Amino acid sequence: MKETSNKYLIVALLVGLAFHGSSIFFTLETTYDALIHLFFADHYANSWFEPWNYEWYTGFTVQSYPPLVHQSIGFFSLIGGLKFGMFTVALIAIVLFITGSYRFSLLITSDKTVAGYACVLAVFSSSFVETLHIFGQLPSIIGVSVLMHALPEIYLWLKTGKLWYLVTSLSLISVTVTSHHVTPIFGMVFFIFPLIGMVIMDVSREQVNTMKEVTFKVFLNSFFKLFKRIVSFGMLSLVIIIFCILPYWINSKANPITQVPIPHGSRDNFLEITSSGLVFFLIPWGTLLIVLPYIFYRYYSKRYLFFGLSITICTILGTGGTTPVPLKILGETAFNILTLDRFTLWASIMSIPLFGEFAYRFVQGDLKELIQTKFGAVYHRIIGGILAGLFVFMVMFTMSLGYFRPSQPQKIKMLPIVNFLNQDDHDKWRFLTLGFGDQMAWLSAQTNAMTVDGNYHSARRLPELTTRPIERLENSKFKGVAGIGSLQQFLTTPEKYNLKYIFSNDKFYDPILYYCGWQRLRQLENGIMVWERLNIPPVPAILPKEDVAKWLKILWGIMPFLTVLIAFVINIQMLWVNALKTKIKEKPDFLKYPTRYIKFPRGVLFITHIWSLILVCVVVYGIYLFYLKNDSQRSPENAIMAYYDALDFKEFETAHGLIDPDSNLPIAQYMLEISVTDGLLSSYAKMDAIETEVTMHNDSTASAKVTTQWITPLEKIEKIDYKTLSSHKGKWFLQPDDLNSDLPPDQLYSNNVTKYFNQGRRRITTEQTHHEDILKQPVLEVLSAKLVKYDNHYAIIGEVQNIDNVPADVILKGTLYNDDNKQLATYNAKYHIKHKLMPKESSSFRINFEGIAWSKTQDSIPDTFNPDEFTPVEFEEQPTKFNLQVAGNVSGSDLYKNIVLSELNIEDGVINGNLFNSGIQEITIPQLLVTYYNEDKNMLWVDHMFVKEGIRQQRKLHFEYPILKNGTVKIINDDMTNIFINGLPNDAISEKIVPNRIENHANTQFQKIEHPDYSYIKIEMNTYIGSPN
Amino acid sequence: MQLKRTYLFILGLILLSSFTSIHSNTASIKLLTSQTDYIVGTNVVLEFSTTDAVQPMLYCSNSYGSTLISPTLENKKLRYQIPANIYKKVGVVNWSLIYKSNTLSGVFHMVPKPEVATMETYIGPPSIEAGGKDYTMLVIIPTDSLDNPVPKNTTVNAKHQFLASEEVDNIVTNNLIAFKNIYSKKESGRMLISSECLNINSKEFTINVMPAVPVDFEISAHRPHNYADGNQVTTFSTTIIKDKQDNVVSDGTFVIFYITNKSGNILKTSGTTLDGIATAKIIHPDYGDNWSIKAYVEGMSESNTITIAYTQVIEDFIVEFSKDGRDINVGPLQSFMQQMIPDGLQVKLLVYKNDILLEKYTKTSVDGYAHFYLKSDIFKPDNYNIKIQTAGLEKTFNNTKLW
Repeated sequence: MKETSNKYLIVALLVGLAFHGSSIFFTLETTYDALIHLFFADHYANSWFEPWNYEWYTGFTVQSYPPLVHQSIGFFSLIGGLKFGMFTVALIAIVLFITGSYRFSLLITSDKTVAGYACVLAVFSSSFVETLHIFGQLPSIIGVSVLMHALPEIYLWLKTGKLWYLVTSLSLISVTVTSHHVTPIFGMVFFIFPLIGMVIMDVSREQVNTMKEVTFKVFLNSFFKLFKRIVSFGMLSLVIIIFCILPYWINSKANPITQVPIPHGSRDNFLEITSSGLVFFLIPWGTLLIVLPYIFYRYYSKRYLFFGLSITICTILGTGGTTPVPLKILGETAFNILTLDRFTLWASIMSIPLFGEFAYRFVQGDLKELIQTKFGAVYHRIIGGILAGLFVFMVMFTMSLGYFRPSQPQKIKMLPIVNFLNQDDHDKWRFLTLGFGDQMAWLSAQTNAMTVDGNYHSARRLPELTTRPIERLENSKFKGVAGIGSLQQFLTTPEKYNLKYIFSNDKFYDPILYYCGWQRLRQLENGIMVWERLNIPPVPAILPKEDVAKWLKILWGIMPFLTVLIAFVINIQMLWVNALKTKIKEKPDFLKYPTRYIKFPRGVLFITHIWSLILVCVVVYGIYLFYLKNDSQRSPENAIMAYYDALDFKEFETAHGLIDPDSNLPIAQYMLEISVTDGLLSSYAKMDAIETEVTMHNDSTASAKVTTQWITPLEKIEKIDYKTLSSHKGKWFLQPDDLNSDLPPDQLYSNNVTKYFNQGRRRITTEQTHHEDILKQPVLEVLSAKLVKYDNHYAIIGEVQNIDNVPADVILKGTLYNDDNKQLATYNAKYHIKHKLMPKESSSFRINFEGIAWSKTQDSIPDTFNPDEFTPVEFEEQPTKFNLQVAGNVSGSDLYKNIVLSELNIEDGVINGNLFNSGIQEITIPQLLVTYYNEDKNMLWVDHMFVKEGIRQQRKLHFEYPILKNGTVKIINDDMTNIFINGLPNDAISEKIVPNRIENHANTQFQKIEHPDYSYIKIEMNTYIGSPN
Repeated sequence: MQLKRTYLFILGLILLSSFTSIHSNTASIKLLTSQTDYIVGTNVVLEFSTTDAVQPMLYCSNSYGSTLISPTLENKKLRYQIPANIYKKVGVVNWSLIYKSNTLSGVFHMVPKPEVATMETYIGPPSIEAGGKDYTMLVIIPTDSLDNPVPKNTTVNAKHQFLASEEVDNIVTNNLIAFKNIYSKKESGRMLISSECLNINSKEFTINVMPAVPVDFEISAHRPHNYADGNQVTTFSTTIIKDKQDNVVSDGTFVIFYITNKSGNILKTSGTTLDGIATAKIIHPDYGDNWSIKAYVEGMSESNTITIAYTQVIEDFIVEFSKDGRDINVGPLQSFMQQMIPDGLQVKLLVYKNDILLEKYTKTSVDGYAHFYLKSDIFKPDNYNIKIQTAGLEKTFNNTKLW
């Protein structure tokens, strides 16, 4: 028999390559996963056989992910760079997917034309488009494509028992497993088991005359007949799955995933969280949803029965948390580890052959005839047009999703950062990126510098990370309080991780960086702000690593390419045989069971109609709900919601559109008013929750109590506003708020300040800084320090002064010991200190001892976590002694001290006061440090408060500070012998510089308060300047 | 008889030959070189006379390591060329020559060159305190062109300039280095330091002599007027703050001003010094007050206490309620010349019900007036006590009916 090339397949390949091949250049780099694979590829390109990677997570092993795709990209990168490698592999993946879906369809439908239809449709199937262009899951695509290639071979082995087919099928299985580990395992269950069922059915069919005669008995007989082949294939493929990526399994056993599950959209309730429903259900199913009845009808026919079961399970599992069924099927653990979107992907891929069949029957088969005879030719054309239109719309919609809802921040030019890291040995320290999205992987791929963060969460090792449900530190603001809580631990004790530089692409994080003791270094030319922390030791030359046996490394380095080579030789050899027609090839067995498309069942057509009608209703209702929710002025609640949303996203024009037009507030004035409000709440807060309670509502006016929860980098803020709304022509508008009308005294005024500049390296040289250019560390003195216990947690409190003549950056590190001098905990001062001190300036401080929050994974994370709160470290023994290490470093930044306490009143346990900004910078976030004393003026406790609003120049700001209610503080130890300044004993230093210190000098200037536990307080002020000029 | 003679002859020969061998063992190799001190860097050759043709190796060791050297033989002289890595380093070189069971050994010295090629100089700390107690240490390591230290007791001149004085101290090297502690003087300033050894000079080093801790000082206050209008800035300044040696304290010294007002509350402002003078600003209070001000450099020095008074400007104000009692107008608020008080005077409105504070509103005046509106969804129609506070004055309206 003469083989002809399948025109449809060729068209599919050409169109597929042209369409996907050209669009990946615009989409792939902004996908979620592609850059991660690129980073792995960079690792292999640089050290093929060494699995340990130091760059992420303080070191992790790349044996935690199957290597084939990464190694291929790495291999191609040697020719034309990493991105060349990535695009090349993506092109290969496209070809593999199209040919794979052709072969799979041919296997299922036994008809070349139908298979051709199917593979053309597969090119544009929305699940493939989404997986490639939005998720960028190259290994997953390659895995499932090769699996589809393997299925016909498996069929032939089971059916014919020719050993050759066993070899080909196993060779393809091995390629699958080296590219993606999950695909062959679940592929076994969802693709190969049903296939086995189908083979048995076919064998049974041969023994009887019609399909109807295939009874369970016949089926069982055939099963026993094929049992040996099935078992041999099963056992051998199991061996292959284990052996080909043996290091992966060994690593998973050695480092089991013990981390807190990371929330994934595919586990959401799709009806509640509609965005997840769109991305993980609606898009991957796409047009397939309409033909779902047909697909089920066909797959539940006797021959495909097992595919029917398989696709049903996949469909149900793919619905995520919408119904409780997936959770029950998978169990708690698997449900929380697996991303369930893959089930939808498989279900949609499984549907490809039948979708092709449907299309064939619709375009030129019996369905066409049926519709035309029943409803007429015009109807057929209209329906065809609608279906085709829908199909094209889904493709366009999916492709452009990344444009309308960018999953990534704007593309960042990495070169300035790479150059910065290469300069001056900056790569001797670890760095951290903030607000980079998945582009952090691309940065990591381009530099040798290491980061504490990483983008492959299964490989995380630090308990600070594995106990949090966050993927990366770098996007912690989207992970709410748990994210910020995790980040601030890294920022407070960065020396633990040799973390010195932070590249911030999001000013949201600026306040937390500042109040954790970081300082701005400079803005790079790509707009990225570099923050640094002083006194961080460089990364040691020798880093710990978990080594694996040499043979495992070699296996890991060679096996993936070897499997590809073998599979290539074996399978392509067959193509040669075909092409050169050296041998007349027998028709493969699976082509012996064609379905004859002669009579399309009327029932199915009817049900499809009904089903489509239901779908239309659901869609229309969904759009209606969407409209109700988004019509911002339909009700007072909507207006308030829209107003706050607009404020949250800084869409001030939209917000102004919701302001009552009768209030005569022009947009210019509104924008001006917005622009003069700065501070924690207006510049650094992200709305977390909003609750609107309409207290009064009539036709024309309404009043509402709006309770908003804001996440700021420093603390969680609850704000209650009372809003008045009025209605004009059925639309609701808000009344504008009052402004602070405080008029500053001076139009123009001057201020003399001392500013500092540190040359750093005076000579332009790549050598280490000359010793005479190294500044002396400023001398500090700890005036008092004690270990106290307050409300069941321990803290070191005290006062530190810069007794040198230069400004100092102060880092305090406290360590607690028990009576046997066993170290119990160590931590740094976080918010409770002025990190920057002018000469002779002093600051109260408090060091909290924070444990790794929720370190016991069974502890559930509190819903109402406040970033300002922390988990006190749990002490097994009583801390009784402490050691305090103080380090000073010369710093010329953030020395703004022009903040004045200009008014103070104490009433009913609340301190009312005014802060006045007397300088020439706008204070973005003022902070109060309040020190409590007993009647003998002994320090007992240090508290702090961030004032929510900023203070403009020469303006006053009112604040209210509630005095702490319960204040039983137990002083455990006030022995000051173990205090060291820059490594030298505190006493000796202070004796030398300030021999005649006036003890308790400013004691007379403490504020008296009425309180059962405290008698005096002292208020100190600290400022964060958001944009210094 | 002939046989006997033959025996004797043979015996005699044996005896003779044994003598010769002893003789050749003891006297065949002799050291010819007599020099034991060499200037480092000069070529060193040890010569031995020999009677044999054997060429034993010379074992040679200095503090850096040991080596074996092969000789060259010329005219019955063994010449051992000492390698460069030994003759380029200062120190003792031990050698021994082992030939059969005899050992010849000796010592020669590589002595430093009387020249200096480079001066390694270290100084620290780079800033010290004035007063004569604090010091910085200068360490000089003069070395020759082969990086060997100069001979012990080589004179090094440590020079430093401070204000008008330029001093030279002669110090000598010992244990490879020469060092000097340079003490600060009473004055603060910049000290330049260099050193010289055998006509080679080091580069220049800079030491900052910083002023010591400040001593007590005085303060003064300046203000445009003495009215408590809440809208002018009072500036406090210190006299020039100096240390006990009369040096002006370094720029940036932090001075904190504590202000105790009439009601005993503590306000504070701060300033940093420039040429010894710290200035601090504070906004005027908006009610008449008496302030006593004292400045501190904490733990080190303090100022005198000064007192200033602010005169109340607003004597009284009018409060107008609308018919439903919800619109409340406060004003006109007038300043000392009866002008409208500049915008921004805080007016507080407190609403009580049965002596329980329900709400507190703070507003700022605009054009001399402040306006409040009590929303009906917060305050149900009822009787409330309303207090209005501004400029240190308070007015109470009991049992105000809100409709």
